[in-house]
Amino acid sequence: MEDTAIVDLYWQRSDRAIPETECKYGGYCHTVAMRIVNNHQDAEECVNDTWLGAWNSMPENRPTYLAPYLAKLTRWLSLSKVKARNRFKRGGGELTLSLEELDNDLGEGTDLARQIELKELSEYLDAFLAGLPIEERTVFLARYWYAASIREIAVKSSCSESKVKSMLLRTRRKLKTALEVEGLC
Amino acid sequence: MLSEKVLFALNNVDDSYLEETRELLDRSAVSQKPAKSRIVRTILIAAVLAALMAATAYAIVSIHQKRQQELKADLKIEEKNVNSYTEYPVPSQSSASGVTLLSTVNDGEFQRVFVNVSPVKKDVIDRFPETVAFAWRLDGMTLNGEDYWMTAGPKLKSGTSVSGYEAIREAVYQDAYDEETETLTLECSISNDAIAQAQAYENSERVHLTLTLWDRQAQADANVGLSAEWLGSQEPFGSVWIAPTDQETRYFDFHQAFCRDEESDREIEIVGLELTPFSAVWKVRYDLAEQFHQPNADWDAYKPWSMLEDKVCIEAKLIFSDGSAFSTGGALNTPFENGIVNLNCNWESAININDVQRIVLGDLVLWEAE
Repeated sequence: MEDTAIVDLYWQRSDRAIPETECKYGGYCHTVAMRIVNNHQDAEECVNDTWLGAWNSMPENRPTYLAPYLAKLTRWLSLSKVKARNRFKRGGGELTLSLEELDNDLGEGTDLARQIELKELSEYLDAFLAGLPIEERTVFLARYWYAASIREIAVKSSCSESKVKSMLLRTRRKLKTALEVEGLC
Repeated sequence: MLSEKVLFALNNVDDSYLEETRELLDRSAVSQKPAKSRIVRTILIAAVLAALMAATAYAIVSIHQKRQQELKADLKIEEKNVNSYTEYPVPSQSSASGVTLLSTVNDGEFQRVFVNVSPVKKDVIDRFPETVAFAWRLDGMTLNGEDYWMTAGPKLKSGTSVSGYEAIREAVYQDAYDEETETLTLECSISNDAIAQAQAYENSERVHLTLTLWDRQAQADANVGLSAEWLGSQEPFGSVWIAPTDQETRYFDFHQAFCRDEESDREIEIVGLELTPFSAVWKVRYDLAEQFHQPNADWDAYKPWSMLEDKVCIEAKLIFSDGSAFSTGGALNTPFENGIVNLNCNWESAININDVQRIVLGDLVLWEAE
């Protein structure tokens, strides 16, 4: 079923909206959640909460692309779950590793950094990502948005793990410089 | 910290960047050409296949019996004198494909039905649970007038808790899959409501259960949006008739016992406990219960009450004759019916409900055998 038809079901408050969404994007959202929460049951919970979030946010919203819309909901719920359990550094899995990598290059942050709004930071990040070559951007987001493992990214992009690591290192350094210029790091 | 904030802030990136990254991650790994040695091995396998056929037929009967023994031990059926369990004779002339009914257990709210399905190829297990699942349905079972399917899970040992796809697959290989006979042991949890609906449809005590493979990847490739339609069009593993197993229940009346939280100054009455070997329903009552157990309840107002409900389920202990104690754990759902909140809890391995000697909540003795 096309995304627009599924969105229509939400707007009509149809019982079929969630089953159709689950059928098309259940696996995708589960993968997004699983990489972050690193636990099958928690991932299921996040995915179920995603359907609830989708139901509650439509018809107010009418997303053109359903996949990223749902994935953002799932990721936010998954990160919030991990944060609520204070497991960012203890839970293991790819999220912990990717966070440690970011920590290494961005540091612990300053008071100013702590004060800035997420929205403002999001805008900086969007602009930063727009300026990156497409290959660098996809690898960066695969690692820090989807929390994919270095090995998986290497296999999927047909390059070596060391190339992925060095690409990520370069991008993190560029990000650090960009944030320093803005006085955020 | 900034890095944590960056992770959250990244959530709002442009959708098109996420789609291009998803495209990368959705790519299949590059396939490799089969090596010559594999072709030679294929010929060898074909040559000895006929000789193996007889041995395979025996192995399948064995795997059915083996699984029945494992199930009984895992669920503690004999150890805890459980009556709400039915084991079925496995056919002596097994075919190498289809569904074999192993056993059913009544855990109060659900019939847990255990079956072996075959053939399930190893590459299918290697895709579970990302792009492959298993589904069941009862004839006559409908939702809003339409057919629907539910998922069945590989039967892992009770208490197994695994994280990550690799770990899940490892557990399936360990507990539920027999590579030699390509047989997978599945558990279907069938609600009493679905059973009642199917019985009405069949006009019989027995209901007809069908199991099938749910290849989500094939479904996506075929661009069939409706899962029920897709699953209905697939060749199933097979079907079996099942007669639901009777429930085994013991009821404890607490005669006006109360659970109080001094800090929040709230109190609930614990009316009673309905116990089966695999489940419990704690029955509690308090003035505002009805308004908290309906859609759009005020969660902040409900919170202190929900903590009291949890306290009953989690902190109450069933004490057995050998002195051991058991907690029913937190409730999975809490329906409100006829002025009572039913705190439904369940667990995987049986307890001996006839051996309960005392039920306590902290210092409060809720019930004691005479």
